[in-house]
Amino acid sequence: MSDIRTGYIEAFQKQRAKSREAARRAAIARFGELGLPTRRAENWRFTNLRPLEQRLFPPAPAGTVPAATLPPLYRLGVPSHRFVLVNGRFAPALSDMGDLPLGVSLRPLAESAPALAPALDAPFLRESNPFLALNAAFFEDGFDLSMTDVVAGEQPSPPPELDRPIEILHLAAAANPVSLHTRNRLCIPPGRRCTIVETFAGSGPYWTNAVLEIAIGDGAALRHIVLQDEGKEAVHLGHRRIRLGAGARYDGFTLALGSQLSRQDTIVTIEGERAECLLNGAYLLRGSQEATIATLIDHAAPGSATREVFKGVVADRAHGVFQGKIVVRQAAQKTDAHQLNKNLLLGRQAVVDTKPELEIYADDVKCSHGAAIGDLDENALFYLRARGLTAAEARRMLIDAFAGEAIDLVADGAARSYLRRHLERWLAAREE
Amino acid sequence: MLEITNLHARLADGREILKGVDLTVKAGEVHAIMGPNGSGKSTLAGVLAGRPGYEVTAGSVAYEGRDLLALAPDERAREGLFLAFQYPVEIPGVNNMYFLRAALNAVRRQRGEAELDAGQFLKAARAKLKLLDIGEDLLQRPVNVGFSGGEKKRNEIFQMAMLEPKLAILDETDSGLDIDALRVVANGVNKLRSPERAAILITHYQRLLDYVVPDVVHVLSHGRIVRSGDKSLATELECRGYAFLDDAAAE
Ligand SMILES: Nc1ncnc2c1ncn2[C@@H]1O[C@H](COP(=O)(O)OP(=O)(O)OP(=O)(O)O)[C@@H](O)[C@H]1O
Ligand SMILES: [Mg+2]
Repeated sequence: MSDIRTGYIEAFQKQRAKSREAARRAAIARFGELGLPTRRAENWRFTNLRPLEQRLFPPAPAGTVPAATLPPLYRLGVPSHRFVLVNGRFAPALSDMGDLPLGVSLRPLAESAPALAPALDAPFLRESNPFLALNAAFFEDGFDLSMTDVVAGEQPSPPPELDRPIEILHLAAAANPVSLHTRNRLCIPPGRRCTIVETFAGSGPYWTNAVLEIAIGDGAALRHIVLQDEGKEAVHLGHRRIRLGAGARYDGFTLALGSQLSRQDTIVTIEGERAECLLNGAYLLRGSQEATIATLIDHAAPGSATREVFKGVVADRAHGVFQGKIVVRQAAQKTDAHQLNKNLLLGRQAVVDTKPELEIYADDVKCSHGAAIGDLDENALFYLRARGLTAAEARRMLIDAFAGEAIDLVADGAARSYLRRHLERWLAAREE
Repeated sequence: MLEITNLHARLADGREILKGVDLTVKAGEVHAIMGPNGSGKSTLAGVLAGRPGYEVTAGSVAYEGRDLLALAPDERAREGLFLAFQYPVEIPGVNNMYFLRAALNAVRRQRGEAELDAGQFLKAARAKLKLLDIGEDLLQRPVNVGFSGGEKKRNEIFQMAMLEPKLAILDETDSGLDIDALRVVANGVNKLRSPERAAILITHYQRLLDYVVPDVVHVLSHGRIVRSGDKSLATELECRGYAFLDDAAAE
């Protein structure tokens, strides 16, 4: 394992990064101190990182975007502003940003990074997450969405809601092991609202190490839908930080289907009063897939609400992990926070670890959490079969219903049918 | 059509529930099975439909000349056997219409008939609903979820009407129904009556049998059929209760 650590340090020395030289050096040094997480670290206890321990994924070489096409499978199917990254870099030929409304900017982070340099990494390097350090050392690109504030009385004043959803595609194609480190930013200023549909997909032995920072200003709202459908051999680490202002609303949904190993960390900090955080999702795993959903929702201001529901379908020899923590600080009186994790275990060798956690320091709050692991309902299976459906059809119908109920939490119609299509595809592939 | 011979079945815990049931149902006939609570009526229905959890330890069941017990539950259904559940199961997240179309198409494939697309299905479903006087909103709801007791029973009858089984087994479909719903159930069975089909009505009450007149009435007690007769047997049970069976046995 120390070979792997040295491997990344050597890869860093070999590559000639043009910008942010000092920041990158600090980051790789931090990675050198930390190394890969071990199972002794509480936060990584359940996640089996073997694929990252066994082989080195050198960063994708700078400056080249491999030719690629846009698979129809990953088109949202409604008019959108589309931003495509291939192997971690902006791919203008596949992107179609259309006419962005006045005051809205969607551009490659490579363009804005030099200006943002000092602000980009400092908080990440203070933490003991080596993947954040590695990302800081290697990232070159990503998407950067920003908007101007809606100021009362301004002429002409932009409409609060963005005209179309924004589609972000992270595509990957690798013949040899590569790592794709992207840094992405979403900044929704006060009063603005928008919908983002993000998709990860690809083929080959690649490792996605994506970091996304989201700031949602006072009274602003973001609907954020993520489809993680990475290739079979892929490793996916997604790290998201979300800050919510007063009266802000984050409505997030993740459907995780792909990759041999995936882990998605979502850290939400509720900084303003009366904010709302909806954090939902589903993971469907088969074969020997490994997936971790780790969430931390930190209520630091009073009167805010959290609704979190994650549903898991874990088949064959797969391993699913849910680690969900909600912290309610002393100042966060009148917090209303509820968390639920439900799992279907569909195989003698399938494993689920679920660890819901509440940490409450305020006394006037309404909080709950729950977790369940179960099999398909025998009575329901028999009822369906007694009407003529084969055992396989009956099972499929019940799995579809279980995961579909989670997808029904997605408010945006186009995004909901997009995820539905991918769920159906997963179920159909399972029967083959 | 159905020939049950010396059927013995027990639960997983070893308790024997069916202790030698003999019953023959011919095409075109309607049989009623009555009997005290816990006598094994639902167990018999469950064994016929292939419900897991029962072990047949002796006897045989021939359905249209084939060994019924060798078929999987869904094969039995596709071969035209239908069980209206005493306690229909709630299935959250599964749309009633979607479910029933899948079931109907499974049965139609088996019968060598063309599958129905969504539009054709809807048309057929609406016609049956109208005939049975059932509201259309039932189609859009998840299977049995939040249905009242009566709605669940109506849904069973609606499914039966759509699937057009050769042999329908109704397990207390008349229990807990108001008089209008009872007519729906009776209507559903009578509409299916034909020389090629048969039905077994498990019931506690004569009132269903006023609407659907059975050819034979049986009494199941302690896992055996202890009496068979015509419709007047039901009337006798209604006024004298099951105790008279024990008296008769003691004589
Ligand atoms: N799956 C099961 N698990 C445990 N016990 C069972 C099961 N099925 C049947 N039994 C038991 O077997 C006996 C017969 O039950 P069954 O449901 O067949 O009776 P029934 O004649 O249908 O009664 P009712 O008129 O109340 O519906 C009862 O003692 C019941 O508790
Ligand atoms: Mg019963």
